[in-house]
Order: sequence, then structure tokens, then C-alpha cells
Amino acid sequence: SQPRTASHPDSDAGSVMSPAGCSHVNGFKVDNWKQNLRVIYQCFVWSGSVETRKRKAKSCVCHLCGAHLNRLHSCLHCVFFGCFSKKHIHDHAKNKRHNLAIDLLYGGIYCFVCQDYIYDKDMEQIAKEEQRKAWKLQEFCKTSGIGEKYSMWEPTKRELELLRHNPKRRKITANCTIGLRGLINLGNTCFMNCIVQALTHTPLLRDFFLSDRHKCEMQSSSCLVCEMSQLFQEFYSGHRSPHIPFRLLHLVWTHARHLAGYEQQDAHEFLIAALDVLHRHCKGDDNGKKANNPNHCSCIIDQIFTGGLQSDVTCQVCHGVSTTIDPFWDISLDLPGSSTPFWPLSPGSDGSVVNGDGHPSGATTLTDCLRRFTRPEHLGSSAKIKCSGCHSYQESTKQLTMKRLPIVACFHLKRFEHSAKLRRKITTYVSFPLELDMTPFMASSKESRMNGQYQQPVDSLNNENKYSLFAVVNHQGTLESGHYTTFIRQHKDQWFKCDDAIITKASIKDVLDSEGSTHKRTQ
Amino acid sequence: MFNRFQFLFQTNTSREKQMRAAINQKLIEMGERERLKELLRAKLIECGWRDQLKALCKEVIKEKGIENVTVEDLVAGVTPKGRALVPDSVKKELLQRIRAFLAQHST
Repeated sequence: SQPRTASHPDSDAGSVMSPAGCSHVNGFKVDNWKQNLRVIYQCFVWSGSVETRKRKAKSCVCHLCGAHLNRLHSCLHCVFFGCFSKKHIHDHAKNKRHNLAIDLLYGGIYCFVCQDYIYDKDMEQIAKEEQRKAWKLQEFCKTSGIGEKYSMWEPTKRELELLRHNPKRRKITANCTIGLRGLINLGNTCFMNCIVQALTHTPLLRDFFLSDRHKCEMQSSSCLVCEMSQLFQEFYSGHRSPHIPFRLLHLVWTHARHLAGYEQQDAHEFLIAALDVLHRHCKGDDNGKKANNPNHCSCIIDQIFTGGLQSDVTCQVCHGVSTTIDPFWDISLDLPGSSTPFWPLSPGSDGSVVNGDGHPSGATTLTDCLRRFTRPEHLGSSAKIKCSGCHSYQESTKQLTMKRLPIVACFHLKRFEHSAKLRRKITTYVSFPLELDMTPFMASSKESRMNGQYQQPVDSLNNENKYSLFAVVNHQGTLESGHYTTFIRQHKDQWFKCDDAIITKASIKDVLDSEGSTHKRTQ
Repeated sequence: MFNRFQFLFQTNTSREKQMRAAINQKLIEMGERERLKELLRAKLIECGWRDQLKALCKEVIKEKGIENVTVEDLVAGVTPKGRALVPDSVKKELLQRIRAFLAQHST
């Protein structure tokens, strides 16, 4: 890069600014400068604690005009705050010959000799550390579970090398169809194809595999995770011809024997089996944490799909509650029209219809199904539970709620009924929304309702429990002979229908009008 | 008559300044300013504003040349359009949030 000269009466002739920093910081980098700089960041830029915030609130005003806006800067050489927009800090720099100032909003270091912000490696390091420290002290960090402030990806030396040696680039525009690819049906394998389409369009899973995060520890070539990785490469290769997933099918037959054979299988069963095998084959990726908790390791499958379902059993006599939390990968919902009664939603009504929200006028919604799923259920006199409080068998009610939500939630509408008397498909239409708020079904919501706490109105600013629809798997036909297809979402609002080898553009209306046996949402 | 009006007007703007400073202080003390900044950042990324600004910055850089462009060039070249491009919905949401905060913490 070319050297830039700045005209300042006291600067060295021909001072140089390189992209990494400037020589004018050398005057500052003396004695205990690192600690001094840290204190400035902690007190005036990224104040994490209550005391530093109070101090920042009081003292961070321009010493000349009292304004707290106008891109306030602090002199690095003395205690002076000045507006940048009104040039008050510039006047100070000129009068006192103090060359450096720091932007109190973003922490950038400005050099008045170079007349630009400079990027000194040592100072940037300190800034990054102080920002990270302050971030961790913030309350919302603790409640939202975001432990680390997002920092942009920067390539390593090796990655820069690879990029230089491979100059071909693929640009992702708003309308490009990369990631879309048909799948050949190998003989009633649409049950597998439909789920594969949903998985290859799960954003976090896609990002995991495209950034090569799987480290295989399996000896043989029968690792399903490796095959999944290959599959993503195929889908994002840009090839438009349908992919033939024979290797995937073979691995599925090997690891999930109950799904082998050319008969029509159940897509939901395939989803669970696939997640299970992938989870087991992720041995190398979790740093051995699986041993500690077999139910929730840190493999990518658990990170994305595993939620916690809370089951509260309340004794009707002593009102003691026994709570268990079980992991889940999907939420299977009963539908109206099955042999078990759907309505009413509250216990003890003996089949009479409940007015208000529970009244079945109009189409059943996904929310109705979820409300039914999380309703208190009286277990009846033939199913007494041993109560540890009463030390005897008592009647009880059971209620399910969500303790911990997964990042991707899979809802399975139980359309296939297999009871002792009949096997049939329930075709009742269930409407589902593009956006879903799971807050009413959370264990925490139930607790605040029970404690009589004021139920906060659905906070539009709090997105913690909100989900966005991105895949819908549909089954057409009967129990004996049917066909699976999937709608998937590409970019923000483009939908496509995946019917084995054929991919067609779809409208949001097509998606929402469909039957929706299984659908997936992401947070 | 005319002087009196002027006097009244000036008093109100200085009170407005005082109020702004007091609100700002409260926001910083309670850590709400940081939370609002994060909320705003997320909203502006979501609605594509940040990508639009990136494109505007690239134009300025092309104009001035990458070796010579300064942060000031970018600020001057991008600020007016950048402010105009912020969607009303985002402004509304932030204002709502600030109002709610003030209502909760009124002294």
C-alpha cells in the first residue's frame, strides 16, 4: 500500500500510515499504557458493571459544549472529552498536541496526524478483550444464553492460501437456486427423499457441513455423517440433474434394519432413525462429552434438534408434583378425527364441548393441537401413581410442557392411526402458521400462570420462543399406497416443492393449504 | 412582545436538552442503552439495511480509491442516505421500547 503523508507542523517529515497502524502511537505506548488503555475502554467505551456505567453516564459529555452525542471522543493523553462532529476534540488535539483520541461509541482509535482511524494490532487486541469482557457482564447475555458476542469471520493464513489457489467463486444472489436438487426415487424411497430435502435445507445443518466441521472417527466407510457431508456437497455443487442417493439408502439399510426393503416406509420413522444414527456417528465431534450425558451431547444433531419435554404428575390428594424432563427430537401431535377424543381441551368435561377457545368451529389449528398436547390430563382411577408424599397409590393429573426448546422444532401430525381395530389415515385439515410463538406452551409460562403472575402480553420484541416455518412434508394417498413430497423454503420467502426428482416453484398459499404431516421450524 | 416569545422558546429548548441528557444518563446507568444498541443492530441486519449501507460504502470507496479513502469520507458520503433508509417500523419499535423503559423507570 502507498504511504500517505499528513501535514502537521510537529510531525516527522513523511510520516507513514500503513493499514496496520501508524508510527504516531509510539509516543503513547510507554510505561503502563496497556493498563491505562484498558481502563479507558472499561470506563468510557464498553462499561460492563454498574459502577462504570454510572461513571460513564455522568462524565461522558463534551468538555466544551456539554453534548453527549456528536460522536464523542476521549483524548488518550489526558482527561478530555470532545465532540468529533463539532471538531471540539480536534481543537484540543491541536492546542495540546495530543495526537490520539478514542471513539466512545465504537472504540476506534483516531490519529490526528494521519487524520484517520488507525488499526494498531496491540490496541485492537486490548479492545477486543475488553469488549468481550463487558459483553459477558450484560444481563441479556445471561438470559438469552448468548455467551459470546458475535465477531466476524476472518480467514486464517491457510484459508487465505486455499482461496488464492482456488480463484473460482460462486456468488449467491437473492434468486439463485443453489442448494436445490432433485432426488431419484429408487423404489418407494420417497419416504427418505422427502426428509433429505428438509435436512439439506436446515440452515444450521447446512452451515455445519459446508464448513467441513465433521471429524470422522469411524474406521469403516459406513459413517452416515460423512455421507451426509457428501450429500451437502452434491446439493450445493450447482449440478441441476437429480442426485441418485444409492449410497445413502444403503447406509440407512445397514444402520436401521427396520427401514430396509423396498416397501413404503414412514417418513417420520425415517427422520427419527436418521437423527439417531447421525447422532451416534458424530463421535469425533463432541470432544468425548457423550459419556457424561447420553441424552444431550454436544454433537450438531443434539445442538440443533434436541429439546426438553417436562412432565409434571400432580397427586390429587396431597398436590405434590413429581417432575421429569425428557429429551425429544420431535413433537408428535394427535389430531381430531382419531379414535381418542380431541375436544374438549380441559379435563373432567366428559366429552361435552367446551365453549370459547376450545370450541371446534372452523379448521383445527396447530396451536389447538399444541394446546391439547400440553393440557392437564386426568389419569383416571385405573392408572393410579405411587405418590411419594402420600406413600400410597393416588389418582393424579399429568401435564406436558416445553422445558427447553430446540433450535429446529419438528412437528409430527399423527395422521396414521394404528389401533387394535383399524389402520387408517386421518385426513383432517390442520392449519399451521408461517410464524409460531411457543411461549404459551413453555414450562416457565405455566409456572407464572400458576403463581398468579401477570402474564406478559406476547412481547413482540422478545424473539426467544418464536419459530419460522421452513419445511413441510406431505403425504398424499392412503396408508397402503401413498407418496411423500416436501415444500422447502429457500432464502427468506421463496418456496419450492420437492417431488423426488422434480423441483418446482411453489407459492406460500400452496404450502399453507397442504396437509402437513411433518413440518419443521427454525428459531 | 416579540422578545418575550423568543425568550420562552429558548427556555424550552434548553429544557429539552436537559431532558435528553437526563434520559441518556438513565439509559446508560441501567444498561438499557447497550441493550437497545444490540436490538437495533439485529433489526437493521434483519431488514437488509446493513447490506444497503455496505453497498453505499463500496461506491464511496470506488469513487475515492481504496488507498486514499478515510473514515470521514465514508461518514460524509453515507450518513444522509443511511439515515433515510432506516425503515419506519424499526424506528417505531425502538421508540416504543424507550417509551416503555421510561414509563417503568420514571422518577
